[in-house]
Amino acid sequence: MTNETATPSIGVSQADARPKLRPLDYVVRFQSLLGLILVIVGGIAFSPRRHGHILFLQPDNIANIVRSISETGILALGMTFVIIAAGIDLSVGAVLGLSSVLTATLLINAGWGLWTTLPLVLVCATLFGLVQGAISTRLHVQAFIVTLAGLQAARGLALIASGNVFININYGSGPGNAPPAFAILGERLFYNTFPVATLVFLVLAVIATFFLNHTRYGRYVFAVGGNERAARLSGIPVEWIKISVYGITGLCSGVAGIVHAGQFAFGSPTDGTGYELNAIAAVVIGGTDLFGGAGTMVGTIAGAVMLGALANVLQLNDVSAAMQLLATGAIIVAAAALQTFVGRRDVRSR
Amino acid sequence: MTLLLEMRGIEKRFGGIQALKGVDFDLRAGEAHVLLGENGAGKSTLMNILSGNIGPDSGDIRLLGASMRFSGPAEAHAAGIAMIPQELDLVPGLDIAANLFLGSEQRTGWGTLAHRRMHAAASDLLKKAGVSLDADRPVSSLRMGERQLVAIAKALSADARILIMDEPTAALSATEAEHLFGTVRELCARGVGVIYISHRLEEVPRVADRVTVMRDGRVAGEASADAPQAELVRLLVGRSFEDLFPPRAKTIGRELLRLEHARFDPAIERAGWQAARDVSLTVHEGEIVGLAGLMGVGRTELLSALYGFEVEGRWSGTVLVGGRPTRLGTITAARHAGIAYVTDDRRGTGLVLKHSVGENVVLSTLRRITPWALVAPKKERRYVAEALSRFDVRPKLPEALVVNLSGGNQQKVVFAKELVSEPHLLLLDEPTRGVDVGAKAEIYEQLRDLTAKGLGVLVASSELPELIGLCDRIVVMSRGRTVAEFAAGASEEQIRHASTSGAEAA
Repeated sequence: MTNETATPSIGVSQADARPKLRPLDYVVRFQSLLGLILVIVGGIAFSPRRHGHILFLQPDNIANIVRSISETGILALGMTFVIIAAGIDLSVGAVLGLSSVLTATLLINAGWGLWTTLPLVLVCATLFGLVQGAISTRLHVQAFIVTLAGLQAARGLALIASGNVFININYGSGPGNAPPAFAILGERLFYNTFPVATLVFLVLAVIATFFLNHTRYGRYVFAVGGNERAARLSGIPVEWIKISVYGITGLCSGVAGIVHAGQFAFGSPTDGTGYELNAIAAVVIGGTDLFGGAGTMVGTIAGAVMLGALANVLQLNDVSAAMQLLATGAIIVAAAALQTFVGRRDVRSR
Repeated sequence: MTLLLEMRGIEKRFGGIQALKGVDFDLRAGEAHVLLGENGAGKSTLMNILSGNIGPDSGDIRLLGASMRFSGPAEAHAAGIAMIPQELDLVPGLDIAANLFLGSEQRTGWGTLAHRRMHAAASDLLKKAGVSLDADRPVSSLRMGERQLVAIAKALSADARILIMDEPTAALSATEAEHLFGTVRELCARGVGVIYISHRLEEVPRVADRVTVMRDGRVAGEASADAPQAELVRLLVGRSFEDLFPPRAKTIGRELLRLEHARFDPAIERAGWQAARDVSLTVHEGEIVGLAGLMGVGRTELLSALYGFEVEGRWSGTVLVGGRPTRLGTITAARHAGIAYVTDDRRGTGLVLKHSVGENVVLSTLRRITPWALVAPKKERRYVAEALSRFDVRPKLPEALVVNLSGGNQQKVVFAKELVSEPHLLLLDEPTRGVDVGAKAEIYEQLRDLTAKGLGVLVASSELPELIGLCDRIVVMSRGRTVAEFAAGASEEQIRHASTSGAEAA
């Protein structure tokens, strides 16, 4: 959109000249990347060394980091759509648990194959999200409440589906065993370096980025989150957008649940507890506006990687779990404060 | 009368912009002095200096002859200067008394809030300000006009001698505004000096004793309140009022919209929502038809029901679009019929404020720049450039955020957005509300050019001079009914008479 400034237009006063980005603007624009770089540099600096090797940079450790973020990363991708549309979805962690249980039950107890189980799980998870979206939009109940209820409901369904037990996934042939192909989700590719779970995340990340930035649907999501009434006046199908974004988080939760079941070879009704908060944290650290209308997928991805790297650095240094939580909290607050600080500056410079 | 305030040679520079270039201003006790100027003329900067929010670069401020220099708003407040900002600083969830004592709550000996004492004092304050409201009513239950009165009472609670009001009628209805003017006159009668910031010419004779016009950081001139509007416009923009409305060649084409005894029944009856009861009017290609009438007679409701925006219900009677019976009442149907709509609330419904000019412009035509549901950046750029070529939006940057634009420029973006869809019929609701005269002239000019190419316009406005200058025909509404129609050339008196007598007849 730069051709407008290139043409010499008459009467463009000094005040109209393209505003120069000040250093602080750069900090904000690349806030999540900057944070990521800081964490990586800090990780290298504070990493324990063994035999002259920096543990943080060991291939095994890096594989660990990217594997650990794959599930919350997938959740955060969907969450980015919802939050840009000015919504919130607290049910993703519970739907992840439900999906892992469904996958395990269908594979082991029902003895279904992969080609029937996986699509069915994804359809169920997507429907779960769509129903939440429809309730929130049609009945005008705040998404926070609806998805909080959805969280409880998904946990309840998972307990029913599993009969309140762990379902171990055994591989092999015959009844009571899952097809061995499913085990690939817990393995690594390329000479045992690159986790398959991370590959799933990366592929989804590319698709999500494309959808948000290059499709009409993505523009609609931004418009609805930015000003719902203006979007409606402009003929945008506001209701459908508001409902469908919860279908996206549902679908992502389904994928994450399958990945979870594959990675750990069991389905557990209580797994994924608190994942929704990590996903939201990744989105917020990535610079997406909790009020909707603004955000980037790249930021979310960087936010997710940053949280994973941070947790890893702390673990390597044997920092207690309690301190890890505190550090994560501090980073989220810092990211949010940076955002509102710049928001205020924007309005003032009017 | 005593001279309350004297400001001499005030200068202020923000970065590269000289906002005030040596401004002189004075205020007498018991006078209402209107400070008139377009957006960016320097009114707000001058008043922010007076109320201590910012310091001047040079110049002299004298209060009752004594030279003053405020280092903060608290000092100005202590000196008897109170400012009512445009966005009222009231807490909607609290009652009037709690708002009046916000930050200076009185307590009992136990350290708890002295509710009874504060309510009594609040009632006194309200009475002193000439406001007949109960002090225990929550602010959220008050209409905008009543909130404005509470803000005045709050400002006066510190024994203010100078009251600054920043465009207080921006969100008020005509009757509420009239009531406010009455309150201002009462305050003046008690010796308070009122500085009234505005860019509405029509208000000047109703509220002011004297008017100072600012332009480009200077005082363009001073006039008495009964100066003709034409002279004020000339001071404001440096050109005359008639020039605002360019002559139009009339080329009336085929019929676009015909309503005959049309009636709209909303699915949900809303209080204060005047649905169209019996409306008959036509709009042709190349024609501008005005909707006149008092506040609340259903002009806005007629337009939103035609477009199907935020109302549900159905039309009955004859509704013809392009000669064919058409079911209107949904946005999809309206857009399909080639109807576009500019609401009276650009910030609330017209624009996505935190998005860029370009993103807003393509909002209603995203389908055209997204073949196969994918965004085509080149096509988008071309669309934005084309839409903006009609209007001189400052700054000339498609990526500038709309929230940072002035009211006039924002309105131009709304027009660009609606016109890029190439509608046949354009519905306009208060198209120049809160817009500076320069932007007004530009919008009128565009309407002339577009009607020459066959666009039909149905415009509702509460500013009669605007309707008379702009329209080929004016339809007068009263309580949801069309009661009279005038050809071009009708006088303000004729239309006003039809509006009021229609109200009595209905």
